Amino acid sequence: MKWPAWPRSLLGQMILSVAVVLLAAQTLSAVLLYRAAEQRRETGAAHALAFKLSTDTRSEHGQAEHGQDSRRSDRDGLKRRWQNLPVEQSADLPMRRGEAADEEREQLLRSILVEQGVSPSDLVVFTRNTRADEFVMKRLRSQHQGRSLPDWANGKIIVAGLKRPGDMEWSVARVPLPGPEVGTLGGLISQTLILYFALVGGLALLLRRITRPLAALTNRLEYFAHTPEAHGQLEPDGPEDTRRLIAAHNAMEARIAALLDEKDVMLGAIGHDLKTPLAALRVRIESVEDDTERSRMARTIEDITRTLDDILSLARVGRPSDDPEATDLAALTASIVEEFEDMGEAVTLDEISRIVGSVRATWLRRGLRNLVSNALRYGGGQARVSLLREDGAAVFRVEDDGPGIPEHELGAMLEPFRRGEASRNRETGGAGLGLTLARAIADQHGGELHLANRLGADGAVKGLSAEIRLPL
Amino acid sequence: MPGDANNPVRILLVDDEPGLREPLAEYLARQGFAVSQASNAVDARNKLLNETPALVLLDVMMPGEDGLSLCRHLVEAKDLPVILLTARGEAMDRIVGLEIGADDYVVKPFEPRELVARIKSVLRRSAKNGSSQQEDAHYEFEGWQLDPVKRRLTAPDGAVVPISAAEYRLLVAFVTHPRQVLDRDRLLDMVQGREAHIFDRAVDNQVSRLRRKIEDEHNEVRLIQTVRGGGYVLAADVRRIVPDGNNGITA
Repeated sequence: MKWPAWPRSLLGQMILSVAVVLLAAQTLSAVLLYRAAEQRRETGAAHALAFKLSTDTRSEHGQAEHGQDSRRSDRDGLKRRWQNLPVEQSADLPMRRGEAADEEREQLLRSILVEQGVSPSDLVVFTRNTRADEFVMKRLRSQHQGRSLPDWANGKIIVAGLKRPGDMEWSVARVPLPGPEVGTLGGLISQTLILYFALVGGLALLLRRITRPLAALTNRLEYFAHTPEAHGQLEPDGPEDTRRLIAAHNAMEARIAALLDEKDVMLGAIGHDLKTPLAALRVRIESVEDDTERSRMARTIEDITRTLDDILSLARVGRPSDDPEATDLAALTASIVEEFEDMGEAVTLDEISRIVGSVRATWLRRGLRNLVSNALRYGGGQARVSLLREDGAAVFRVEDDGPGIPEHELGAMLEPFRRGEASRNRETGGAGLGLTLARAIADQHGGELHLANRLGADGAVKGLSAEIRLPL
Repeated sequence: MPGDANNPVRILLVDDEPGLREPLAEYLARQGFAVSQASNAVDARNKLLNETPALVLLDVMMPGEDGLSLCRHLVEAKDLPVILLTARGEAMDRIVGLEIGADDYVVKPFEPRELVARIKSVLRRSAKNGSSQQEDAHYEFEGWQLDPVKRRLTAPDGAVVPISAAEYRLLVAFVTHPRQVLDRDRLLDMVQGREAHIFDRAVDNQVSRLRRKIEDEHNEVRLIQTVRGGGYVLAADVRRIVPDGNNGITA
């Protein structure tokens, strides 16, 4: 399953993966740090209990210090005051009904006491709400007469009862239960967040430096793909690798543009150098006395000219020198049909709707003319032309009543110098560039050329339908 | 029309290819023109110091100063009619040629008879206008615009409407004589050009083609109306507007 929010760009993917991994690592270390701090607090509490119990002199000496302590600053005083909680001597087991022994703390305390040379014969550790402990409350009230009690008085205390070997009474020591220290936790979280944002932010800046030139290069490539011109090249930017990539791309662009320019110049020269002698020849044949002979020569020259024009056009179709212009396509279609009418060809104008489209009229006329010529040449000498608006496209359709094209050859017909089997003899003329050029012209306009056999009700081929489909 | 035997019409033919220039000069001479030849722009300028041809046939692609530059000089300084001979047939070349003031262009290889027909047509027009000066004012009628330089018709919605040379000349005849009845002979006379043979056959056909392009079937108003007794009239007022350098057109 694909996560819909997964970013597609290099920058997004790298930032996201680094962010996720970093978040996991930071969380883990934060948890470990927190656990260590908790451990430390527990040990601290246990040591405090052990200290009280081991140094217990069974006398109440805390009261003497009471006066001077009460004036300490709040937080300081808070910490100290519980240290003044004296050890209570009690004959009864200090644990009451309903209170459970805390095995973990008991073991910890026991091991500390043993280290300090106190070997307990009996030890009990449990927690209890501070307010439920009369001993503590009594002392607190006497220390804080009239004033509010310290915070820990609302929490819990750890109570530890110890009997040394031979003792008859329990020595009971109390420390407040160490709660989670909000300050530490907050510090940990903010430290984690700062580190996190510093790293991810820095990484984002660095990555942007790499990906921005890459994005610019992609845009440039897309532009160059359909307008191969060397101007407007990118300045090499970003890290060395990207710079080199852009420089190499620029060199390639310049090379391609130079090749294309060279091609245009060469084609212009070929066009000029062949058409001028052809023109001379065309003038010279006017002195041929025999009319039939002269018209044959003229037709041959026309054929050569047409082929030459097709080749030159095919070579230039990808780089037209003129801009598209809003044009009345119906009038354009009509004018083509009329051209053929004037030559005495059986071309009729079928359904036509007035559509205005942005086209290069000279090119489009050439494409349509080629389709009509093809229909006349191979399609039984008759052609019908129509222009309709279909699904937001202008569709020029040329239909004939010929034998059509075998289905498996339809695609191949669009390749250069390809002609249908029926026309292998040179009698019909043409170099077989007509459809190739028509398709290239449709491409030039962002459209398509479709060839299809027209089928009758009985499934037999009734003729060919060629259409140029231009998006509006 | 190439003048009479004693006083033939003089044509200056400028082309760097002797292979085309010489047989073409011979052919035109056989057609009754007096032809001078020049092989480049410098040569042509020298020839023009001594003689004033009625028309210049000018190759566009020549080494040294090219045909377009010479054409500009001929039209602006000498006020001579020019027909360009061009090897390329691309739309841009044609429009550029017409914009700098050439009267017509033919694409190589051309049919010599067609060239002669065009020469005659240009000469006839320049004789009528008294000069070959291009009209650069547009004609406007009912929102339509006819640009005589680019020979281009623009619909009220701004779309270019492709029309043939014959239709263009027919339309020029109509817009220069708005609201006047033009009978077939008159139209023929005014629009006769290289497509004369077509017009002989069917002025009516051309008019109906033109109508197909500029009239809306659903619209009641007919721009070109048929007059009983044989003739047509442009039922619209025509304004002349001079293209403005900045933003298109001003009245």
